[in-house]
Amino acid sequence: MTIDASTDAPPILEIDGVTKTFRARLGLRRVKISAVDNVSLTVQAGSTLGIVGESGCGKSTLARVIVGLHKADGGSVRLAGTGFNGGKRSREIVEHTQMVFQDPYSALNPRASVGESIGFPLRVQHVPKEEIATRVAKVLEDVGMHPNYSTHYPHQLSGGQRQRVNIARALVLRPKLVVLDEAVSALDKSIQAQIVNLLLDLQTAYQLTYVFISHDLNVVEYMSDKVAVMYLGQVVELCDAAALYESPLHPYTQMLLTSIPTLDPTQRAAQETPDNAEIPSPLNPPSGCRFRTRCPFAMDICAEQAPTMITARPDHGVSCHLFDPDHGDPARISTEGTR
Amino acid sequence: MTEGATLTAAELRERWYQNEISVPPISYWSVVRRRFLRNKLGVVALAVLILIVAAAVFAPWLSPYDPLIGKPADRLENIFSFSSGHPLGTDEQGRDMLTRVLYGGRLSLLAGFVPTLVAGVIGTIIGTWAGLVRGAVGAILMRAMDMLYAFPAILLAIAVGASLGPGLTNTIIAVSIVFIPPVSRIAESETRKIVTAEYVEAARLSGASRIRILRTQLLPNVLNEIIVYSSGLVGVAMIIAASLSFLGLGSRPPTPEWGYMLESLQGDIYVVPAVVAIPGLFIFLTSVTFNTASDALREAMDTRLS
Repeated sequence: MTIDASTDAPPILEIDGVTKTFRARLGLRRVKISAVDNVSLTVQAGSTLGIVGESGCGKSTLARVIVGLHKADGGSVRLAGTGFNGGKRSREIVEHTQMVFQDPYSALNPRASVGESIGFPLRVQHVPKEEIATRVAKVLEDVGMHPNYSTHYPHQLSGGQRQRVNIARALVLRPKLVVLDEAVSALDKSIQAQIVNLLLDLQTAYQLTYVFISHDLNVVEYMSDKVAVMYLGQVVELCDAAALYESPLHPYTQMLLTSIPTLDPTQRAAQETPDNAEIPSPLNPPSGCRFRTRCPFAMDICAEQAPTMITARPDHGVSCHLFDPDHGDPARISTEGTR
Repeated sequence: MTEGATLTAAELRERWYQNEISVPPISYWSVVRRRFLRNKLGVVALAVLILIVAAAVFAPWLSPYDPLIGKPADRLENIFSFSSGHPLGTDEQGRDMLTRVLYGGRLSLLAGFVPTLVAGVIGTIIGTWAGLVRGAVGAILMRAMDMLYAFPAILLAIAVGASLGPGLTNTIIAVSIVFIPPVSRIAESETRKIVTAEYVEAARLSGASRIRILRTQLLPNVLNEIIVYSSGLVGVAMIIAASLSFLGLGSRPPTPEWGYMLESLQGDIYVVPAVVAIPGLFIFLTSVTFNTASDALREAMDTRLS
């Protein structure tokens, strides 16, 4: 089920029931890794959807499905009304969606100058030479770098500058949707702030829609309008960023939020998180609710039946039996858990 | 400078910008060149190598004698026979050794360079293709290479050389076949490493075709390893070619070639040992300088500039 909050803007990205399973070999056994399982999301034009979750929860796989680097096994991705699923990307799709990668070091070809890297998508799309030069210079200025940098090579740049170049390469085709896959996670805190602010400025200047993927809850809160929380390939909670941070509903979200480090010594005692459990392997996810092995409120029903997305509050979806009037007791989760 | 105090913030920033970008662009290869030139041993080896290659190329202008026709009366003169005009002595048919060594260098160097180049090109094509497509095609290609690789290099060269018959062309073919498997293995493993890099994914995102990604993103980075590895192969190729000649499978008389010269002179080792050693010395010198220069190149290229 999809939560569709603001109906004023048309959705630019509609993900419906997307599933991605990787096949691998473990010794002689063939195994299936369920990386993304039945994820449905909608992103309004001009907004930012944040996706958070621990490492290995399928965030990056979902990002690659959205931009078409991976082919989804099931479900559909519709971009501004045009459906596509992996394979050859039409020029229109290429110009609509771009991605900024995580590692500023491996995301640039070490043998290509900055100008060659940024101009590459334009050359692929047969843009005339003179136009490429002016567009590269323009986009470099837009990301806060002097156009003369186009003749420099990646090894001459700092991490922050490299990430600016990565952003410039994603923007040079003037996309509508940009997927930011841990785009600031590899940077120093001070540089991170610069890049986050740059991204917000560019969102206005280029009228961009962002899908912002990160494991850093603070940055996601700052960047996003809506946030989807992912656990083992599934979206467990989806709502406005403010609502999520003020009153998280899903036990997993609550666990994540209490794990944010605080600088306030009086708060530290409350931070002792009871969770020491390992994340279950996506090779063999738990039956029913995938979170039940770590959930302090797990009930019998959780092992038997997978929860569906429930609109627990207006514009606030959660996938948990506690909020199902048939099984759960919503009052319990807001007070102290006894089990 | 009186206007220094009245600079606006924008002008200051502009000035800072200009400072910042006044650093010239430095490409990867200019970094490699600078690092290589800092390595004294490598530079010396390269200089000696250039000297040997130049001497071989300009052999007709450097040597006053005919490399094929000698004076039997002057045969087997020892080295340093300056009075008779043969500083490196003469061989068993009275031909000037210096002339023969210079001319022999042409064939020996050819037998070193050409197989390396041929194997470099073919091996890179096979390896990058196998690394890119993987699956059944990649597996078949690489297992075929492994089969060839299972033989010791010199044995495989002898087997191929013997089945093709003697002659320089066949030697070059034999040595090329020997070198294709190791080159393609390096190309394949490098390709597999690079193909998952984020800049290759970014290229795929821009809608580029496979061939274009191979050409613009993969090859420039795979070639790195290939160049380093191949530069070390030239010396080995010369030795294998010389060995084939020594066994009578390589170049045929009377054309001078270092390996063949060693073979034809071996009977006279007790008469003029110094003269007999000369072709061997040149084989040794060339392959050692090649390997030293190759090591220096490897060090210069291993710059961790990603």
